[in-house]
Amino acid sequence: MKRKFDHSAPAQRELNGPKYWRSLDELADTPGFREHLAREFPEGASSMDGVDRRQFMRLMAASFALGGLGLAGCRRPESHILPYGKSVEYTVPGLPLYFATAMPLRKSAIPLLAETHQGRPTKLEGNPTYAPHGGASSLLAQASVLDLYDPERTTTHSKGGATLSNGQVYDILAGINKTYAGNGEGLAFLADESASPTRARLLAKLKATFPRAIWAEYEPVQDEPPIAAAQAAFGKNVKPVYRFAEAKRIVSLDADFFHAEAGALYYAREFAKGRRVSKPTDEMNRLYVAESGFSLTGSMADHRLRIASHHMLALAAALAKKVHGDGAQFDPFILNDKLDVNPQWIEQCAQDLLAHKGESLVVAGAHQPAYVHTLAYAINAKLGNIGKTIDFVAVDAPSASTITALATAIKGGTVKTLIVLGGNPAYNAPADLDFGALLKSVPDVIRFGYYDDETSALAGTHLAATHYLESWGDARTVDGTIVPVQPMILPLFNGLSEVELLARLAGEENPDAYAQVFTTIGRLTSGDTKKAFEKFLHDGLLEGSAYPVADVSLGNLNFDFSKVPAAVTLSQNNLEVRFVTDHKMDDGRFANNGWLQECPDPMTKISWDNAILVSPRLGRELGIYPAGSLLQVARVEEADFVVGKENAFIGEVTVNGRTLRGPLHIQPGLSNYTIVLPLGYGRTASGHIGTGTGFDAYAIRTSDGLGFITGAKLIKTNERTLLANTQEHWSMEGRGIVREANFEEFKETPGFVAEIGMEAETPVVLGTEGQKRPGESEQAYLARIHGGNSQAVQKSLPRGNSLYETPNFTGIHQWGMSIDLNTCIGCNACIIACQAENNIPIVGKDQVLRGREMQWIRLDRYYSDGQADAAAFGADGNKILPEDPQVSMQPMTCQHCELAPCETVCPVNATVHDEEGINVMAYNRCIGTRYCANNCPYKVRRFNFFDFNKRATDALYMGPLGHQSEMPELVKMVKNPDVTVRMRGVMEKCTYCVQRVQQAKIAQLRLAGASGEVEIPDGTVKTACQQVCPVEAIVFGNIKDENSAVSRAKAQERTYAVLGYLNIRPRTTYLGKLRNPNPHMPDYAALPLSRVEYNKKNHPAPDAGSGAKPEKSTTEHGGNG
Amino acid sequence: MSAHSSDHPAPAILAEVKPAVLPRRVLVENHRDFHWITDKVCGIVEGQTPVWWWWCFGVAAFVASFTVAGLTYLVATGVGVWGHANPVNWAWDIVNFVFWIGIGHAGTLISAILCLLRQKWRTSINRPAEAMTIFAVVCAAIFPVFHVGRIWFAVLPGFLFPFPNANGIWQNFRSPLEWDVFAVSTYGTVSVLFWYVGLIPDLGTMRDRFTAAGNVLRARIYGFFAMGWRGSNRAWSNYEMAYLILAGIATPLVLSVHTVVSFDFAVALIPGWHTTIFPPYFVAGAIFSGFGMVMTLMLPLRAIYRLEDVITQYHIDCMCKITLATGTMVGYAYSMEFFIAWYGANPYEGFAFINRAFGVYAWSYWIMVTCNVITPQFFWFKKVRENTTLVWILCIFVNVGMWFERFVIIATSLARDFLPSSWGYYSPSIVEIFTFFGTFGVFSVLFLLFIRFVPLMPMSEIKAVIPQADPHGSGH
Repeated sequence: MKRKFDHSAPAQRELNGPKYWRSLDELADTPGFREHLAREFPEGASSMDGVDRRQFMRLMAASFALGGLGLAGCRRPESHILPYGKSVEYTVPGLPLYFATAMPLRKSAIPLLAETHQGRPTKLEGNPTYAPHGGASSLLAQASVLDLYDPERTTTHSKGGATLSNGQVYDILAGINKTYAGNGEGLAFLADESASPTRARLLAKLKATFPRAIWAEYEPVQDEPPIAAAQAAFGKNVKPVYRFAEAKRIVSLDADFFHAEAGALYYAREFAKGRRVSKPTDEMNRLYVAESGFSLTGSMADHRLRIASHHMLALAAALAKKVHGDGAQFDPFILNDKLDVNPQWIEQCAQDLLAHKGESLVVAGAHQPAYVHTLAYAINAKLGNIGKTIDFVAVDAPSASTITALATAIKGGTVKTLIVLGGNPAYNAPADLDFGALLKSVPDVIRFGYYDDETSALAGTHLAATHYLESWGDARTVDGTIVPVQPMILPLFNGLSEVELLARLAGEENPDAYAQVFTTIGRLTSGDTKKAFEKFLHDGLLEGSAYPVADVSLGNLNFDFSKVPAAVTLSQNNLEVRFVTDHKMDDGRFANNGWLQECPDPMTKISWDNAILVSPRLGRELGIYPAGSLLQVARVEEADFVVGKENAFIGEVTVNGRTLRGPLHIQPGLSNYTIVLPLGYGRTASGHIGTGTGFDAYAIRTSDGLGFITGAKLIKTNERTLLANTQEHWSMEGRGIVREANFEEFKETPGFVAEIGMEAETPVVLGTEGQKRPGESEQAYLARIHGGNSQAVQKSLPRGNSLYETPNFTGIHQWGMSIDLNTCIGCNACIIACQAENNIPIVGKDQVLRGREMQWIRLDRYYSDGQADAAAFGADGNKILPEDPQVSMQPMTCQHCELAPCETVCPVNATVHDEEGINVMAYNRCIGTRYCANNCPYKVRRFNFFDFNKRATDALYMGPLGHQSEMPELVKMVKNPDVTVRMRGVMEKCTYCVQRVQQAKIAQLRLAGASGEVEIPDGTVKTACQQVCPVEAIVFGNIKDENSAVSRAKAQERTYAVLGYLNIRPRTTYLGKLRNPNPHMPDYAALPLSRVEYNKKNHPAPDAGSGAKPEKSTTEHGGNG
Repeated sequence: MSAHSSDHPAPAILAEVKPAVLPRRVLVENHRDFHWITDKVCGIVEGQTPVWWWWCFGVAAFVASFTVAGLTYLVATGVGVWGHANPVNWAWDIVNFVFWIGIGHAGTLISAILCLLRQKWRTSINRPAEAMTIFAVVCAAIFPVFHVGRIWFAVLPGFLFPFPNANGIWQNFRSPLEWDVFAVSTYGTVSVLFWYVGLIPDLGTMRDRFTAAGNVLRARIYGFFAMGWRGSNRAWSNYEMAYLILAGIATPLVLSVHTVVSFDFAVALIPGWHTTIFPPYFVAGAIFSGFGMVMTLMLPLRAIYRLEDVITQYHIDCMCKITLATGTMVGYAYSMEFFIAWYGANPYEGFAFINRAFGVYAWSYWIMVTCNVITPQFFWFKKVRENTTLVWILCIFVNVGMWFERFVIIATSLARDFLPSSWGYYSPSIVEIFTFFGTFGVFSVLFLLFIRFVPLMPMSEIKAVIPQADPHGSGH
């Protein structure tokens, strides 16, 4: 399709006047000339050699916009090219526009606001209108914008290697409709899950059109409790929605509701509300977690029980029995098992729940069998939690067929045409189905997908799907609220949206996706449909569309005990395998996303790979335990590190005759005989980035053990491989870095942070104390600054008579940040948000192995087991890895020290302070001596060792004579035009998102006008990490304003500065972490283990580590599978 | 100068105690005369180029090409071709820089401080030592210049070198790296001047000899550099004064350069760097390494050119003793660092030192201690000092040890600093290793050219310390 300019017909007045012509051709009015006039470009321009001109223009559009030439990229869904003189509404060149959309994922969605620059989406934020998320978004949502510009996405429709035009595709779809209409015998669909109302509507029509066709849905991982469990308990089609904010006591039965469960974002946010404590009189929730792996949820637990997933049923039953008083009905679950848990753990946990009726909550993991969920519902019902901390909402009964049923049909030879919508069954279907082979046996397989992946390779026809940022659609969030999926840009390539595809198959008159969504929403609203739809798009949600809360009551629990799995005792020869969704790859669909691949796993800190996670005990039994050095001056490392690179043994897992190989990594905190296999890696057809990273855990995952399976064997081979582990050392070494207390202690000593570390904090901020007071003489001011001895002054000024002039912070705003370690769950979203906002390049596995990752913010993860030895030369404690550690997470980024050590050492003044207290980098001035990075005590500066922005992300730098592969133009389109793209040889680091600060200042300046009110109101400017944070752990703002949120956070007694004793006065401070353990529990310790280590190391008195029960060793508490 | 040579009568007390008059050790043995000295020194330049020289030159040039190739690759590709990474952002680059700068110290010490202290034994070794200094500074300068990320800016005026510019941006004069720029460039300049001024009378001699031999071209070249030297009294008087002034200027540089280099670390706040002992300890270490290198170079030269009469056992003794003294100082500094780390009770500092000696990099620490503290102790023994082969081997150990000292300070401190989460381990890349290896070639090429074209020893000064120069025996 070539664009034609509509030349308006000449007015009568013009026709009557004297005639002019441009050429004789015009005078003659030849058809050739008319064609010439109407064409945008001369003939032949579209068939230029090599690069397709249109393609080229598409790609270049963004670069032109970037270059500030003001040329319209025009990727918006408009029909005509318009100059900026007749611009799109609201468009101001240089300023971004925000549109509401949503990222659908399985049966839920994350409402988003997309930031677009000249029609080019560059950054996604959570939609603040959707209250449950409060403007937060997730790691995956942040990274998904990169997928839009993935140069390796499918760009054309194809059949048997030949490219199809859109018209041909329409013909194919119409052909299917015609062939199968009215019957559907032989037609089958395999789709991924979706909660889209439009899809549901079209599906109903499809079913009417093809009554005998098979519609199957398959998702490799379940993130919602099985509806059968709710059916069994309540007799209704309902699903639970948890209200964590209302829950004071929470028990998780293998549920990772910060990551793996649908609605994790909402749940994390609600959980943080009950967790957040600002003063000793506040209440704080308590979290019990029983789990086999080590999840983010487990890392936040006050009491964590390591227990095999296989034994969770028995644990749930035991808990249900305690809660129900007698509860003999639960015995068959317990007796059939060999549950090895300290009965006191269950007893006291149940007592705690019973003491909090109506404000407690028991959650079971979605991968657990229906029994466990039913038991959890029974406990919640008994505790009176239903309707308070847990709501059951009415959902449609599942009507889709399963992949197993589809596989049976294919084997029976009844399927002639199979349409695979999304998903990637050839890669992730249960191994026992051997779905790849089944696909080959179907005569006509039509694949609709975003990538040319494993499934596409087996499909005769591949239809290119659009990204959600370039297609119309709708979706539902976890609570059922309908949100729009609105395109930000015309499809970059000839993609087809799912809605349009289904509409064409269903034979809709107007298959346009927009029209379809409009129809759907129109049916759900009353009144002026157009207005309602506009409001829907503007708000990014349809108010009142959430699933209705159902009135449920627990029925008679008639368990069918015959199906209770036989109990097994786990050992080295009978291991449990637990399959978990990877934190970054999810089920594998994000494999080609470089940001995600490079983001370290929050627990293992491994990037670009997954690993077979084994417990320290199993590791010792297999002989992969790290040896440690001769004189163990620090804690033994978590793995064997060879010149700073993790050198992991390759292991072989065998279960039911299926084997996979992968690197072994010791993960403290696992149930002793459970091995954890993260899904989503080992892709064989996923573009340059995703192919060849990690191993494919689906290879041994069968229908009977999608979540976990027992009976596995693991052997260690003598082969080794390198893992890009970004954190070599796991122990805090008894240093006061993350400062923690138990809630009880906090109530008595709210300022506990001051008792840890050499100095709790250096003067946090300069504040008003440092300014010259009105009427103060120069002399008095200097005396106060340099010799003042009042406590307030000492707190805010450098000690001693420093030779150096203290920076003069005269700005109207003084920026600062406070990070609440108590609510931070370590989800990594801030890392990717920062990467997207600040154009941070990825460096590839090879460079991460060398320690050259570029992320500006990192999550430090420390384990503590209370065993640190005061002895410098490795007493026994230094030689062991904790089997059951506590975890402390700490986001670490530039602290913007007021007396920044990086600034004094830079020879060229490339890093300096601005008057508002931000430690800024002048990239143009930097020559790259790297002295600043050396002198940074937090090690948060990042150096461009190569031109990371100029090389293809997977290519190792080939040297000057090698092939210089530039970053594809398409990838450049994701760059934020407000932030410099750094070249090689330049140091970079967190800038407190100075571009956002400046934009807010400019906007405020305009608003202020003559009034002079140039101070930005609190909360106007948010850093990228703050904006994405679901638990609101990060607060940024003006510390000069005593009423700002950040000032209020910093005024809390838990405030401390990391390494404050250096007198560098960081502007970023932390709020100490709290744990809320139950004193009656068998694994209770009066002090957090990191504190015990601190005390042992620094005050090795006989009563060192007071409060910790010394017998509470690293080995077992409670029990272990 | 002896106690009896004064015009004044000796104090009466001397008559009473009758101090034994120990004979001064002669500085040129076998009663060599002026003519022998001139022939010996000039003969090296005038004679046929020896075959071994060509071989050495060829090998040295080949080795030097590694540096050239390594640096070309580095500039073309990025600093990432070296092994640096967070948290060890400096490693071999700065280790090599400090190592070479340290080696340069002996030259200035011998020529300036010993000159001011009137240590006459300096005369036969000062010229090659000064040359060594200059060449070492050349090798040293390679690293800080090339280790930066954007060398094309680093060498532009206005970035590292102060230069008025339209932006009004100046250098950060608080940065020890900026101090380095001034310290090293000053040191290099003064060293070249000092060396050149000392050369002038000998260049005059060379010119005259080539003129007499009819070699006009070489006579012209030497004549150009001799700056019209005629050896008049007036010229000698001016020359002596200029030399003395330059010695005075150079003397504080001996102390200042390595003090400033040590500030690169002492001014930083990294545990293991942030310590006030560094300036004296670095200066002692530099002199230690410098003398190690002087002997490494002089002993083979002495053997090849049969210079035993001018570089006598006495010279070797003196150098060994200085090496012993400074090596012991360095050893003292090592132990004092530990003491202060313990006494200061800062856990971060305490860990840094325990980790240095017993942690992941313990191997490098113990190489350092063995080479720097134990090796020089052999120089207590006369038998050892008289065995030139053994002395040479021990000096090699000193050189190795001093390289490791810098490695230990830089790498171990950075690898494990404040936050255990960012602990790492540094290992060099092949490019880095070969670039450093190549600098020995660069150094050797320059040094070989020096011994081939420049009078190896200050003839005029040696002549001044033989008995014939003082026929009346009145000291000076």
